[in-house]
Amino acid sequence: MEQKEKSLIFEKFNRSMHILGKATLTISIILLVCIPFLVGIVYDSMPDTGGFLAGFGKVAIIYYPVAIVEFLIYTPMLGVGGSYLTFLTGNVTNMKIPCVMNAKDITGVVDGTPESEIISTISVATSAIVTTLVVAVGVLLITPLQPVLENPVLLPAFDNVVPALFGALGLKYFAKQIKITVVPLAAMILLCVCVPAMISQTSLLIIPAGALAIGIGYILWRKDKI
Amino acid sequence: MGEKSVESYRQIANSGLLYLVVGMALLFIVIMSLVFLVRSYRTGMKIGMDKKILNRAILSSATFTVLPSISILLGVIALSGTLGIPFSWLRLSVIGALQYELNVASIAAESIGLSGLRVGEMNGQAFTTIGLVMTFGILGSLICCIFFLGRYLKRFQKPKKNTEKEEGKKPGFGVHATTAMFIGLCSAYIGAYVGDVVRNQNYLPLLTAAVAAVVMAAFEYFTNKKNLKMLDNFSVAGSMLIAMTAAVFLHKMIGG
Repeated sequence: MEQKEKSLIFEKFNRSMHILGKATLTISIILLVCIPFLVGIVYDSMPDTGGFLAGFGKVAIIYYPVAIVEFLIYTPMLGVGGSYLTFLTGNVTNMKIPCVMNAKDITGVVDGTPESEIISTISVATSAIVTTLVVAVGVLLITPLQPVLENPVLLPAFDNVVPALFGALGLKYFAKQIKITVVPLAAMILLCVCVPAMISQTSLLIIPAGALAIGIGYILWRKDKI
Repeated sequence: MGEKSVESYRQIANSGLLYLVVGMALLFIVIMSLVFLVRSYRTGMKIGMDKKILNRAILSSATFTVLPSISILLGVIALSGTLGIPFSWLRLSVIGALQYELNVASIAAESIGLSGLRVGEMNGQAFTTIGLVMTFGILGSLICCIFFLGRYLKRFQKPKKNTEKEEGKKPGFGVHATTAMFIGLCSAYIGAYVGDVVRNQNYLPLLTAAVAAVVMAAFEYFTNKKNLKMLDNFSVAGSMLIAMTAAVFLHKMIGG
């Protein structure tokens, strides 16, 4: 096949991926946003506007920059179709990226070529379908166990799901960059011990802690220490 | 708050309506994934790719995904106690990941005046507000894709200039920035747990976090030192479930 013909087919494919991707993402966003409102209407429990704005403000400060960084870093390796599907189906760093890298490695395609983009789209789509099926089967199996999961004896387990998460994640990230960790961790401990009101305000603490860690990380990076 | 309120909250969080809408949303995403798969497969054939290569990509991706999917299922179980099964199922199947969902749910819970993500304090309005914050909070990368993906990727399709100058240049700060952000995030929570011990003698959160850290250290040891890379898929969810189990026993031993 001539290179020119191949390029034309691939350009047409990419255009269709953009149209399909944008339409899929837009419909999905509408569906996802509608769910809390639908529950709110049916059960007379509409979302609290003040609570939403306060919560969203805190979340956006942390996660929108992370989303932009992920978009800038991962989309070139995922290609057009792969990017739309990856960011829609989530579990980006823990599943989709390693899955795509593995598929590219196994099939031996060269990065930046049309073949590489085709493989990454196939890989992400397959991964998304398999995950949804596995989790769906699992959910069907755990639904009969619902009364057990809701037993009051297990309440401390579910009330401590956040400490369990940050214990596990803390070790993983602290060990990764101990030089960045020391100051923000010590500062947050000191702050919570000296100002007890901050103990229940972790959502506020995240902002100075994150800024401090990024600032220290940047200085260390500039000095080639990390 | 009484058991009756918890019961009525759970009826909302695990209602048939939620199962239905979540099922519909997931079905839509599976169908679209299938469309992407078929289109890219056909285009691969058209540009002369070997069918065996394309099939190998499908098979390797399917097998690669099974184990991490079980880890996601464990995440659904961990999240379902507070947010119900259907919503946890949706959040971990679409856009999200366990770390994000729990943290955001916790921030949202505090923003509406709860002391944290606790089942005993939840009600219908708290559920819908938390759900809305979780949804809007994660749209950043989707918005970037809708508005900027085409233009951004075009930059990479242009021939590169100054490659000699680029060579030897150190990698950008982007990767470190994400790690630093998460270090800050974890520092805030661990700091609060230590403060809770010192000021309120509430040991359970810190002990639960400590158990999770110890289990995670074991996972890291076997993954990195013993080269059992497969275990990495289960490290976060596995550490959490063991720590949550420990919390039940610790609660019986030392109280809240």
